[in-house]
Amino acid sequence: MFWSDIFYNFDFLMKGLLITLELASVSIIGSLIIGVILGVFRYSRLFPLNIIATAFIELIRSIPLILFIVFVHFGLLPAILGSPASFFQSSCIALTIFTSAYVAEIIRGGLKSIEMGNIDAAKSLGLNYFQRLAYIILPLAITRMMPALVSQFISLIKDTSLASTIGLIELTRSGEIIYERTYHELEILLFIAFIYFIICYSLSFLSRNLESKSCYPIECRELTPIN
Amino acid sequence: MYELDFNILYNALPSIINGLRVTLLISLFSSFFAFIIGVLLAFLRNTEFSAARFAATAYVELVRNIPLLILLYLFYKGLSNIGINLPSIICGILALSLYTGAFISEVLRSGINSIAREQFEAARGLGLSRRQTFSLVIFPQAIRIILPPLGSQFINLIKNSSLVSFIAVTDLFYVIYKGAVDDFRIFEFFIAGAIIYMGLTGIVAVISNLLEYYLKIPGRTIKV
Repeated sequence: MFWSDIFYNFDFLMKGLLITLELASVSIIGSLIIGVILGVFRYSRLFPLNIIATAFIELIRSIPLILFIVFVHFGLLPAILGSPASFFQSSCIALTIFTSAYVAEIIRGGLKSIEMGNIDAAKSLGLNYFQRLAYIILPLAITRMMPALVSQFISLIKDTSLASTIGLIELTRSGEIIYERTYHELEILLFIAFIYFIICYSLSFLSRNLESKSCYPIECRELTPIN
Repeated sequence: MYELDFNILYNALPSIINGLRVTLLISLFSSFFAFIIGVLLAFLRNTEFSAARFAATAYVELVRNIPLLILLYLFYKGLSNIGINLPSIICGILALSLYTGAFISEVLRSGINSIAREQFEAARGLGLSRRQTFSLVIFPQAIRIILPPLGSQFINLIKNSSLVSFIAVTDLFYVIYKGAVDDFRIFEFFIAGAIIYMGLTGIVAVISNLLEYYLKIPGRTIKV
């Protein structure tokens, strides 16, 4: 075995890991924002918007991510910008848009699970549609759907490895660069798999903790007795 | 100004059909094996042997938290490092079925957990062995409850099968990508690819919906 490859190229691999984490965090934040907006559109009855959101979500969800990344990098962004985009920009945009469709479906599921009582109570307090959405329904839906969102973000982190295929030097690609020189693929690949495992498993551990708690902060408040 | 010209696809039609055939082949074989692996793992996670339970759980957790691309590379490049040279299409089927099998076992487990505890006890009380309880009582019910998420796992498998093009399998995505880059007709080829993948996933969705409708357990409202 040639484990020393990892040792000698540790800095390079960590640089790749940093890019992976940057890509993942930017995409997580972006897809959460776009996903919530899309999910609300899909849930709402605002006529053209819900149709557009539904069509967009269904389209994105039925094509492979790699097709979308390559399309964004080679087709869409050059057509819009007029010049090729950087690897980071295009993989970031592709991952954000792709994951936001899945986030939107999760958010819609959360919105649909809200009991009528909450909405009626909010109405009786005189809140208008947008106030109800922003203060009552959305916070409830997001907290309720937290485990599903976290597991979606775990798969986003795994999906960042696909950015290596268009040439972004993130964790997977930096490993490839090393073993293309040394031909000791197994050790490097096992090490990379280990790093991905550590990141994703700790997140899924977190999500399981969220899941096992029987109530979330906002809903707990309803249950605590008022003195 | 870029002008769409779909005539270019006529020339590429034979290779697209070939690619589609490879994608279908890989997807069919992988779904079959993934389902078997998933059922086996779900059964192992329900046995009384704590070692088997632990091994199955560890396997599922391990595979679910590693990107599929890395898994494919491990089978294709990593195994050849220790002297095992498999054809790339076999590597693809292996990695895809092992990966999806872990997800299917997780889905199955949630189905098994949703079945009332009393049914285990009643079946055991009637003298059925653990294996009989699983195969005759629990599994037939669980499989009907989890049809929708199971269908979406098979849809994911079809979409994930596009990644085998990175271990030198000439599947649909490979053909689309090559056509797009060679002729510099990105939009035409990618629109065609998206439509084909949408068709494939749509067919699976329709089949899953039909099965769900015909196999639903009478009197049980299915909540997903």
